[in-house]
Amino acid sequence: MSDANIEGSTPGASPTPEEPRHLRRAIIAWIVVSVIGIVIWLLVTPYIAPATSSNLGSSQILTFNVLTVLAIPVAMFVFVFLAYSLINFRVKDRPTEDGPPLQPRPSLQIGWLGITGALCLFLFIWGSFFYYQETSAASNNTLAVNVTAQQWQWTFDYPQYGASSQGAQVIELPVNRPVQFYVTSKDVLHGFSILAFGVRVDANPGYVTTTSQFIPTQTGSYAVRCVEMCGLYHSYMWEAVKVVSATEFNAWIASQGGHL
Amino acid sequence: MSSTTESTAVTVDKRPNLISRLIPSVVSGIVLGVIGAAIVGLIVNKITTAYSPDTVPNDNAVAASAFIAWVFFFMIGIGAFNGVFEWGFSRHEPTPAEEMHMAGKGQGLWRYFRYTTDHKVVGVQYLATTLALFFVGSLGAFSIRLEQSRPGALFFNPSTYNTIVSAHGIIMIVATIIMITGPVGNFVVPIMIGARDMAFPRLNALSYWLLFVDVPVILSTFFLGGFQTGWFGYAPIADQQLTPGQTSYDFFIIIFAISTTIAAMNIMTTVLVMRTRGMTWGRLPVTVWGVLFSVALGLMAFPFFLMVQVMVVLDRVYQTSFFLAASGGSNFLYEHLFWFFGHPEVYVIVLPSLAVAAEIAVVFARKPVFGYRLIIASMLGISILSVIVWGHHLYTSGSQDPLNIPFMLDTELISIPTGIFFLALVGTFWRGKIWVTVPTLFVFAVLVNFVIGGITGVYLADLPTDELLHGGMFVTAHFHFTLVGAGVFGFFASFYYWFPKMVGKRLNPMLGQLHFWLFEIGFVGTFLFLFIAGLQGEPRWSANIAAPFVTANTVASLFAILIAVSVFVAIYNVVYTLARGEAAEANEWGGKTLEWTVPTPVPLENFEELPVVTSLPYSYGELVPATEGSGPVTEGGVEGVQPQIES
Repeated sequence: MSDANIEGSTPGASPTPEEPRHLRRAIIAWIVVSVIGIVIWLLVTPYIAPATSSNLGSSQILTFNVLTVLAIPVAMFVFVFLAYSLINFRVKDRPTEDGPPLQPRPSLQIGWLGITGALCLFLFIWGSFFYYQETSAASNNTLAVNVTAQQWQWTFDYPQYGASSQGAQVIELPVNRPVQFYVTSKDVLHGFSILAFGVRVDANPGYVTTTSQFIPTQTGSYAVRCVEMCGLYHSYMWEAVKVVSATEFNAWIASQGGHL
Repeated sequence: MSSTTESTAVTVDKRPNLISRLIPSVVSGIVLGVIGAAIVGLIVNKITTAYSPDTVPNDNAVAASAFIAWVFFFMIGIGAFNGVFEWGFSRHEPTPAEEMHMAGKGQGLWRYFRYTTDHKVVGVQYLATTLALFFVGSLGAFSIRLEQSRPGALFFNPSTYNTIVSAHGIIMIVATIIMITGPVGNFVVPIMIGARDMAFPRLNALSYWLLFVDVPVILSTFFLGGFQTGWFGYAPIADQQLTPGQTSYDFFIIIFAISTTIAAMNIMTTVLVMRTRGMTWGRLPVTVWGVLFSVALGLMAFPFFLMVQVMVVLDRVYQTSFFLAASGGSNFLYEHLFWFFGHPEVYVIVLPSLAVAAEIAVVFARKPVFGYRLIIASMLGISILSVIVWGHHLYTSGSQDPLNIPFMLDTELISIPTGIFFLALVGTFWRGKIWVTVPTLFVFAVLVNFVIGGITGVYLADLPTDELLHGGMFVTAHFHFTLVGAGVFGFFASFYYWFPKMVGKRLNPMLGQLHFWLFEIGFVGTFLFLFIAGLQGEPRWSANIAAPFVTANTVASLFAILIAVSVFVAIYNVVYTLARGEAAEANEWGGKTLEWTVPTPVPLENFEELPVVTSLPYSYGELVPATEGSGPVTEGGVEGVQPQIES
């Protein structure tokens, strides 16, 4: 909204010395508020960002934070300019005179398009790069787990070991070993999601979909949730997945009828 | 087309008695519709029990035929086909007097309950229906917040809860689709372009009454076992639902799609051919552009929704298997057809709101719109891009993995035209003479909410973060910020802005401000906390709130109380104003579009003499010729970062 970039401002007369330099003030306010916003975000992000326990999740959280740091100045631009307008250009009652008929200059339009375009391009390249990295990961000792959804429970099979969760409420995964899920459904659409690992894919009847390969990095207990509407007990379709050490995992596989 | 030459005061029946008032009217329509639906339902029940195999339940067939009969017999009862019989078979052309009678001349308030062709009557009917649907839908919203306020199943069993969530969703979607193109598109747009009525007045009435008959169809689901699918009605769970409550949903969509298609065709034709002399494309008010783009998108999108629901009905009634994998069908078919409608639909809702926000910003900043062509180009760009981005709803479906990156690209491209819209609106307020009224407050809220809704959309557009958030409450909060925060707040801006013109009374500004602040604070609070619940991993459609999400949900529910109070403040304001509000001026706000040049209440046929337009209706301030290179150069190029908006 630079005066220089607005057609129709009185030539050579703007801004007059006694009239405050609105644009400069608003931009300073915007920069200050944006910096404060980013600092506050970096302070609170550990409390509200999703907790993550896999390599995949870590890169997703990184993306999340990068997007937020970009987003804060963008949001603040609108907030600050609107608030500034509301405070400074407000008239008490029904206005008796009109505002100046400002129009955006070509340079402003092109600059605006250029900057939004550049931000957009950055988001696209960033997203594509990390998506490619996620989906192209491969390893030769990957643990394959077949997941079968049905109303309203999950069944997990370990084809490499001939083991099955057999309706157990808790399944186990070894820490620091790549895992990939092969997901399908027996009846309707379900959504297979483990937030802590950053994996999520639909369970479609008649198809097998795969999650990205990921490596659990911390032992602990995490939730498997259904995230597609699947009928009556959708909100109860939870299960637990425990990440344990390799020896504990082997013992668990044996107890589930598997062979090592 | 209604007569533009004569308006002689001939009424068909000078002293109408009770019978001639009731037949035809909405009363005779309902009576005949109920009787017809009952008879047809009974007949179909007899036939299907006699001839169909026992394995096939017949209640879907009965429900489907009853819904169809209800629509046809209602339309016969209200007299929708009278014109066809009187004039369609070429007995004679309608006389001006007959047309005036159909437009409701001399019928007082009763014209709102008849098959009235006057576009202003239809606009008010749409407005009343929108508000009624909002009220019903908000009851659903409060039930959801109530259930989610504490862990465990508190008030509803899972079946009821899912039905409430699903019905809340689809009722609100329908209400938001019609909220501006219905009232503003029918009442204001024809006057804005200098027309005496819509291009097809009788189709106009038909589009409204189809919407009217549609409301009982969706409400019937509560008595027919409900439906579990969510508002998008995904198959195969829709095929699997045993109760005919699902059939209610299907027919709700089918009838609504027909109604909307008729309305869209009518509005488009009106804008294309009924503009007054001098109303060139470059002089159309922004509102007209917004409504035009919205209905054009709707015209393209709704047939897909209609078609996919017909397929579900076939699956349910005739045991076809479009969506059953076991018999060769696919749930991907439903998802893609649905979202091919579903994403443009978002912009069908939001575009008119944004356009109305720009229109109102101009009037209350007393400045010309900052870049008229920019805004039009922005809406055009959004419209075109919106039909090729549906795949981002299916990033994690597994049906299109190689296409995810192209879909990410075009989804993020939408932020460019949306950013232009923000430039135009912020620029319109900048250095204006801002008159803070209730409509102005709502326009500010549109911008604030849409920034939040748009920016959170970027997280869902970008693949790595979408994998964290897809299907969670973050999505719910995001689309509530766009559809309610931008859409519904834009509707209320238009509501407070045009109410004095449409109804002729002035809404109480103090109550209006109270409504605004309760709504905005309650809304932002509720959904900011649902963002947090989503970040912690709460799935959508949770009847039972798990332990990690309790705090965020409880706080959200407390904020929702403010919204609930705001609803009743608004109702009180409207009822009080209708009963004893003061009369509004013809030009209540100092607007320059044509609807403010006609008297209030607007006479039948709108204009005594059709106006001639010579410029854009935004000629605030004196126009100084453009000069290059003026002003200080020091501040050039500082427009650092722009809103990246995306949905």
